[in-house]
Amino acid sequence: MAVSGVQKPRVPRKSLRQRFGFNFYDVFVVLFCVAFAVICFYPMWYVFIASITPYEEFVKGGLMLWPSGGVDLQYYKTIFSNSSFTTSLWISASKTVIGTLLSLLITSTMAYAVSKVHVPGMKLINVLAVFTMFFTGGLIPTYILYMDLNLIRTYWVMVLPYGFSITYFIIMRNYFSYSVPKDLEDAARIDGCNEVGVFFRVLLPLSKPMLAAVGLFLAVGFWNDYYSYMMYIANKSELQPFAWVLRRVLTDSAMMAQVRQGAADFSAQLPPPMALRMATIICAMLPIMCVYPFLQKHFAKGILIGAVKE
Amino acid sequence: MAKTAAVGPAQPKLPLRARVRTLPQRALLALRKYWFIYLLALPGIIFLLLFSYGPMYGILLAFKDFKINKGVWGSPWVGLLHYRDLFSDPAFIQAFKNTVIINIYHLVFGFSFNVFLALMINELQFRRAKSVIQTCVYLPYFLSWVIFAGLVQVFLQAPVPGDVGGVVNQIIVALGGESIDFMKRPELFRGILVITNIVKTAGYSTIIYLAAIAGVDPTLYEAAAIDGGNRKDMLLHITFPRILPSVAVMFLLQVSQLFLSNFDQVYNLYNTFVYSTGDVLSTYIYRISLGGGAEFELSTAANLLLNVLGLLALVFSNKFVKKLDVMGIF
Repeated sequence: MAVSGVQKPRVPRKSLRQRFGFNFYDVFVVLFCVAFAVICFYPMWYVFIASITPYEEFVKGGLMLWPSGGVDLQYYKTIFSNSSFTTSLWISASKTVIGTLLSLLITSTMAYAVSKVHVPGMKLINVLAVFTMFFTGGLIPTYILYMDLNLIRTYWVMVLPYGFSITYFIIMRNYFSYSVPKDLEDAARIDGCNEVGVFFRVLLPLSKPMLAAVGLFLAVGFWNDYYSYMMYIANKSELQPFAWVLRRVLTDSAMMAQVRQGAADFSAQLPPPMALRMATIICAMLPIMCVYPFLQKHFAKGILIGAVKE
Repeated sequence: MAKTAAVGPAQPKLPLRARVRTLPQRALLALRKYWFIYLLALPGIIFLLLFSYGPMYGILLAFKDFKINKGVWGSPWVGLLHYRDLFSDPAFIQAFKNTVIINIYHLVFGFSFNVFLALMINELQFRRAKSVIQTCVYLPYFLSWVIFAGLVQVFLQAPVPGDVGGVVNQIIVALGGESIDFMKRPELFRGILVITNIVKTAGYSTIIYLAAIAGVDPTLYEAAAIDGGNRKDMLLHITFPRILPSVAVMFLLQVSQLFLSNFDQVYNLYNTFVYSTGDVLSTYIYRISLGGGAEFELSTAANLLLNVLGLLALVFSNKFVKKLDVMGIF
């Protein structure tokens, strides 16, 4: 796009671009993009700054562009002195790790198998798998099934049902079909490698970047998931994930009162609910922010693998 | 099957034996040859059958009077009774209407915004600025709707005694206006849904268009420049027509989701004040069953109806996608 500043010799008046180095079109494009980027980013920045600002400073209002009046971590202290928070952080972290590993293992092996379309039966399995994307049993039948499996109100209901993920199955299957060079596999076979060796020595090392990308996506999904707790566990506070605690802090005034009371030990006045909400939001965002640089590096590739034909 | 028969080198020499082979024999042969592939597929198949196909048996509930001690199969049949109840439930009709209307809003405003954003990001001249902006606009996609609903609350909350209101209300008050309780106004709720959805997902959905734009032959732009076209002309006559197939596919995919609703988004943002405009089918299905009510059969019946409608919409839009020569999901 280096061709932008094209001169039009027959136009007698100089264009804005020639006079000032830019024109309205450029200005509009930049303003539009910057405005939208600010809308996307500023709320998080605002909440972050507000959550570390002393309350006296915060009530004055303002745009919260920079922490003024010192950094105050009392809201975080309040949160971490509450046992619901610490338990739920542990639950969320463990289910994220276990769930991601399980789902990666099960989904990737099946995706590899199904990518071998010449093996009898694989096309049928593929259709069976993709069909579940559009047709599900629904909430109550699922609940009844989990009841029969004795999964209701257990930790594993937040992990096991996500063992096979249809979205990432499609992405991985397309990756194995189109992005891994077939010649390499054939070369390994000619050199005397059997199917087992091809998978472990050729396929897995080649798919490391893809597995990392999908793994990050899965991890974010597990971290953000509160649905399985809400539907299939509900009211078992030792199992609640962090996303659910966050939801309760945002919507449940009883929970908020309990958290505020916890602050009475080391704070003269009870912290305002709004500030505590912000601090909780930041805690929920933090792990995602930590992996975001890696996510961003991979995810464009990640979703395009499934969309672009080679 | 025909392909496997052709793979073995011994096959042409033994046409007769190959011909009389029955299906179980062929299956056994394939199993012996590809045992490792089947082994790899096995755990996935078990999970698929158990957790995705397992619940489908329970769909029978839509036509039964569920007695918990008799189980799904033992409960008596009631035919289409639940559908009669469903269609006479004003809350269901309302939720159905809301779902379709909200999805049309998403399609009209959200979808066109996505395309426009992709074109604008592509027009950015400085590479550094472009990547910074992309980093910012992709970010909200990875935050959960719970977090996002929290942000919306922080920004839109009305002032209450003992707590300052959200930023937007602070600004309105500072400008001399009267504070608005955004989250409790039914007429504003659909707008909030559309806008929050744009902020959360627009950046992410540009990826597919930006990839399509990256595939445009640069010589086209050079030719246009020689012919005296400016950048706006290039955008309208080169870039846009080139991404039109991707736009069409994404459009049809979204049309196929006309009856689906985003449970996560609506459930985290709505409240009893905005049920009249904000209650959608997925939240209705939840509310009448696990979320307070005990209408398990009704909930299953509604879900089945939703699935069938969704499949029809998908088949319908897939017909058009096929004509566009782009890889489908199958």
